[in-house]
Amino acid sequence: MGLRRTAWRRKWGVSLAALLGTALLAGGMQPAEAKTKDGKWRIYLSLSYSGNSWQSEAANIVKALAKTPPFDKTVELTEVISGTDPQAQISDYESMIANGADGIVSFPISSTALNRTVHRGCQQGTLFFMYDATVTEPCAYNISYITSGFGENSAQALVNALGGKGKIFLSRGVPGNSVDERHTSGAMHVFKQYPGIEIAAEYYSYWDDRTTQQETAKALAAHPDVDGIWAQAGEFGAIQALMQANPDRLVPVTGENSNGFRLALANPDYQAKGLAGVSAGSPPAQSGFAFKLMMEILEGKREPLAEGERNIQYPLPWVPADKVQLCKGDTFEDGCNTFPEGKVPSSFVTEVFNPELLPELSLASALDGKPTADATIQPLPADAVEKAPDAPGINCRQCEAPEDIYSLTKVEPTVKP
Amino acid sequence: MSDTGISSSSFAARGPSLRALAESALLIATIYLIMGAIYVSVQPSALSAYSIESLFNNSLPLMLAAAGATFVILQGGFDLSVAGVISLVNVVVAVTPLEGPLGALGLLAIALLIGMGVGAVNGLIVAGLKIQAIAATLATMIVCQGAALLVLGAPGGYVSDFMAYELTGSVLGVPLALWIALAGVALWSVYRRTDAGRNLLAVGQDRKAAALSGIDVARTEFFSFVWAGAYYALAAYMLAAQTSTGSPNAGEPFLLLTFAAVALGGTAFGGGRGSVTASLFGAATLMLMQKVMFALGVSSFYTGVIQGLIMILAVLFAAGVQLAIRSGKRP
Amino acid sequence: MTQSSETMDGPATTPQDTRRAQRLSSTSVAVIAIYGLVVAMILLSRAVSPAFGGLSQVETIFYLAAFLVFCAFGQGLVILVRGLDLSIASLITLGGVLSTALMAGSNDGLFYILPAILLACALIGVVSGIGVTFFAIPPFIMTMAVGIIVYSLCLGFTQGTPRGFPSPLLRDLMQARLLAIPAPIWLLLAFVAVGTVLQGYSAFGRKLNAVGNNPEAAYVAGLSARTLTISAYAVSAACAGLTGILLAAYANGATLRMGDDYLLPSIAAVVVGGSSILGGRGSFLGTVGGALLLTTLATILSALGIGQGWKTILEGLVILVALIVLREQVFDALQAGLRGLKKG
Repeated sequence: MGLRRTAWRRKWGVSLAALLGTALLAGGMQPAEAKTKDGKWRIYLSLSYSGNSWQSEAANIVKALAKTPPFDKTVELTEVISGTDPQAQISDYESMIANGADGIVSFPISSTALNRTVHRGCQQGTLFFMYDATVTEPCAYNISYITSGFGENSAQALVNALGGKGKIFLSRGVPGNSVDERHTSGAMHVFKQYPGIEIAAEYYSYWDDRTTQQETAKALAAHPDVDGIWAQAGEFGAIQALMQANPDRLVPVTGENSNGFRLALANPDYQAKGLAGVSAGSPPAQSGFAFKLMMEILEGKREPLAEGERNIQYPLPWVPADKVQLCKGDTFEDGCNTFPEGKVPSSFVTEVFNPELLPELSLASALDGKPTADATIQPLPADAVEKAPDAPGINCRQCEAPEDIYSLTKVEPTVKP
Repeated sequence: MSDTGISSSSFAARGPSLRALAESALLIATIYLIMGAIYVSVQPSALSAYSIESLFNNSLPLMLAAAGATFVILQGGFDLSVAGVISLVNVVVAVTPLEGPLGALGLLAIALLIGMGVGAVNGLIVAGLKIQAIAATLATMIVCQGAALLVLGAPGGYVSDFMAYELTGSVLGVPLALWIALAGVALWSVYRRTDAGRNLLAVGQDRKAAALSGIDVARTEFFSFVWAGAYYALAAYMLAAQTSTGSPNAGEPFLLLTFAAVALGGTAFGGGRGSVTASLFGAATLMLMQKVMFALGVSSFYTGVIQGLIMILAVLFAAGVQLAIRSGKRP
Repeated sequence: MTQSSETMDGPATTPQDTRRAQRLSSTSVAVIAIYGLVVAMILLSRAVSPAFGGLSQVETIFYLAAFLVFCAFGQGLVILVRGLDLSIASLITLGGVLSTALMAGSNDGLFYILPAILLACALIGVVSGIGVTFFAIPPFIMTMAVGIIVYSLCLGFTQGTPRGFPSPLLRDLMQARLLAIPAPIWLLLAFVAVGTVLQGYSAFGRKLNAVGNNPEAAYVAGLSARTLTISAYAVSAACAGLTGILLAAYANGATLRMGDDYLLPSIAAVVVGGSSILGGRGSFLGTVGGALLLTTLATILSALGIGQGWKTILEGLVILVALIVLREQVFDALQAGLRGLKKG
C-alpha cells in the first residue's frame, strides 16, 4: 500500500513539477518586481542558531556581500536568528512571507519540518535558498556540499594513511541528524571493505571542538592504543585530546576545515609524532554562493531551475597535509588555504573563500561582515551550477539515491581491502 | 519565594480572590492580549485567516506540553520526561503508516498509550519508590530519547495527508488547534471541580495535611504523571501533523520552554497554586513573543535581551496586580 | 513549597534533634554509598575494555568531572535555598568568552582580569538573587530569563565568533602535572575541600541550610534570609564563570554553546548526590560523588560498542538504578534491620 501510494504521488508530482517548470520558463525571464518602498529587494537571512564560528562566518559572508556594490543599493537584508527550535524558525518564515519577502537565504534547522511553510512561501512568490543544511521540499533551492562525498573520501584517506588496518574512533556529529547519517554511512561503506579496520569507539561530538576534545578523551581512556580518528567538524578537539593523553604520540586524523586543524596538519613536529590526514568538509562559503545565485535569478540574469532540479552541489574542499599553504594577506591568494597562527581563532573555519564564485570576499567579510574595499559583485560563471545527486531525506522525499552514491572522487585507494 | 508560608486551613476552604485570580488565568490572558494588540498594530496582516491559523498551529504543541506539565507541578512534582515523551511519540507516529481519519484515530490511540505508559512509569517511580521527581523523570527522559533514536535514526518518516492537512485546518471557520486548546480549558475547568482535581491542589499545598484529611497522596501523584503523559503525547501527535514528519530530537526544544510557559502562567513551582488554563496562555504567550520580536525588528543578536526582559516583566506585572489587589483588601 | 516534615515541628526539640542526627547519619551513609558505586563501576568496567579499571581511567574521570563539580557546587547552594539556577550555561559561556577576549593569548593582567570576570559573573548572580528574593520572581523564570539575556549579550559582544585565546599560563595549567597528577585534579581536590567546609561546616553554610529548611524561621532568628539567598546565586554564577574560564583554557578557545552540556548534569549531580530539590538538605561531597558517577558512566558508555539509541537508554536506566539504590529509605531500612538483628 505504501509503495502504491508512493508511485501515485511521484507520477502526479512529476507532471505537476513539469507544469510548474514550463510556467516558470515562460515567465522566468521577466525580472520580478522589487518589493520595498524604495525599490530594493527584500531579502531575509534566516539562521537557525548562531554561536559557533561556522554559523557566524556563513552569515557574515552574506552580510558582506549585501553591502558590496551594487547590492548595497539594491538589497535590503534583514538577519533573523531563530534558535534551535524548528517551531521558532517556522514562525519566522511565516512572518517573512507575510512581510512580502522576495527571497530567503537560510540555514534550515530541520530537513523536513519546515517543508510546509517553505511550500507556502514558494506559492506566494518567495525564493528559498538553503545553504549547507537542506530541506526536502522541491520548490526550495539547496546549495550544499553534503552530497559531495565527505564521508567516503575522508574515510578512504584515513584507511590509506593506516595501511588498511588499525583501531579507529569515529567522532560523529549530532545524533538523529540526517547530515551526520549521510557522512557516517559514506565512511562506513569504506571502512566495511577493510576487515583490518576496527572501530574501537563511536561517539557524538556535536560538531564542536570542546565536545570533541572531551569525548575523545573519554574514548582514549578505554583505547589509548588507537591508530586513527575519523572526525566530522570539531576535529581540532580530537588532536588536543591526543596531545593531552600522550604528547609524544599522535595518529592520523581526518576532519573538517578548522584553521587549527590545518595548522596542525602542516606542523612538522606533529607530523614527526605521527599526525597525518586530510581537511575536508563543510565550507561556510556556500552561503555566499546561495545568495549570489538567488540574486541572479531574482534580477532575471539567470533562469530559474525547474522544481526537482534545484539541488545544487557545492564542491568538496580537499586539503591533505602537503597542500596546506599559509596565506600572507587577508584573502585566499596564490592557492593558499590557511591563516597563520594567532590571526584567527583555531576554531575558525577556513573555507570562507572561493576565488571563482566569490572573488568579492576578504577576511574582514568572514569575521565581521564587512565588504572588501573597491570590490563589486561579479557575475557567477555560467557553469557555476552543478546538479547534486538525490539523497533521500536530505534533499528529496520519495526518491532513491544513485547506485554509485559512495564512489570516491577525491582519493584513490592505495591499499587493497 | 513568596508562597512558603502555609496556613493550615488554606486548602480546605476555597481561598479568597487572590487564589481565584491565580487560578483563573486572567492575568496571563491579559498579558497575551496586550502582546497580541502590539503585534497586530505593527503587523496588520496578522489578522488574516491564514496568519491566525498558522499561529495557533505553531503554538499548540507547546501549549499542550505546558498543560500536561502543570498537572505534575500542581501536586508539587516536576516532570522532565516531557522532552523524551515528545521525541518518542513523534517518531512512532511518523513511522507508523496509517491512512485517513481512522488511521489518525488509531495513531492517536497509540500515542496516548505511549504517553500514559511513560507517565505511569514516572508515577510508579516517584509515588511508589519515593524518588525525587526531577531526578526520576530526568532518567526516564533519557531512556525515551534513546528509544526515539532506535525508532527513527534521522528526521523523516511519513505522516498521512489527512493528519497533515485536516488536523492543521479549520472547523467551522475556527482553527482546529484553537478548538483543541479550548477543549483543554473546558476539561480543566471540569476536572478541578472534581474530587481528583481538588485533591491535586490539596496535595500540592500541603502533603501532610492532605494525607491527614484522607487523601490518597500517592494515587494523586501517580495520576498527575499519567495525565501529563497523555498531554505530552497529544503535543507530539499535533507536532507530527504540523511538521508532516518525525524527528528523534523533536522534544528537545520543549524541555525548558514548557516550564517557562508554566511559570509564566503563574503556576507555583512547588505546587498548590495555578491552573492548566494559565499554562495554555503562558505557552501561547511565548510563541506570540516570537512573532512580536520579529515584527518589532529587534537586531537579531540582541533578541534574547528583549525576550528575557519580557519574561521578567510579565511575571512582575502579574505579581504587581496581585499585590495591588492584596493591599486593596487590607484595611 | 512543600514543607519537609521536620520544619513543620516548630522550635527545636529534643526528639527532633535525635531524628535529625539519625537522618544525618543515613545521609552520610548515602554519600559513602555513591563513592562505593563509583568504585564498583570503575572495577566492573574492566569487562568493557582491558584498558579500563586502571589509574589512567580514574585520572580521565577526575579530569573531566572537575568542570562539572565546579559548576555543580554553585547549583547545589542555590538548590539548598530552594532555588534552581538555569543561568549557569550562559554564565559558563560568559566566563569563557570574556577570558579569551580579554586575555587575548597573553598573561598580562591575568591576576586582575580573572577576579574581575568572576566578580562580573557574581554580580549577574546578584541580579538573579534580587529578582528571586525582593521581587518574588520564581527562580526558574528569573534564572532562565537572565540566562537568555546573558547569552544574547555574549552573542552581541562576539558578533557570533568568540575571538582571542586563553592565557598561556592557564592553558599550561590545564596541561601541567604535579607529582605525576594533572594540575586540574589538584585544583579539583582543593575546590572540594574548600567547598565542603563552606557548605557543611562554616557559619555561612549552616545559615544557608537554615534558610533552605525554613526561610521564615531563619529571618526571625535574625539572619537575613534574602541576603543569604542572593549570595547563593552570586556564588553559583561565579562558579559557572570559573568553569567557563577553565573550559576555555582546556579547549584552547571559547564557543558560545560551551555551557549547554553542563546545565542538566549540574542539577543531576546535585540530586543524585542526595540533595533535596526542595531545599534544606544536601552535602557537597554527595554532589561531587554524583558528578563522578555521571562522568564514570559517560566514560564507560563511550567505550561500549553499541548504537547510540541503546547507549542512551542504558544511561537513563543506570541513573534510575543508582537513584533507587541510593534512596535514604534503603539505608534507613538497613539500619533498622541491623538494630533489629542486634536486639534479637
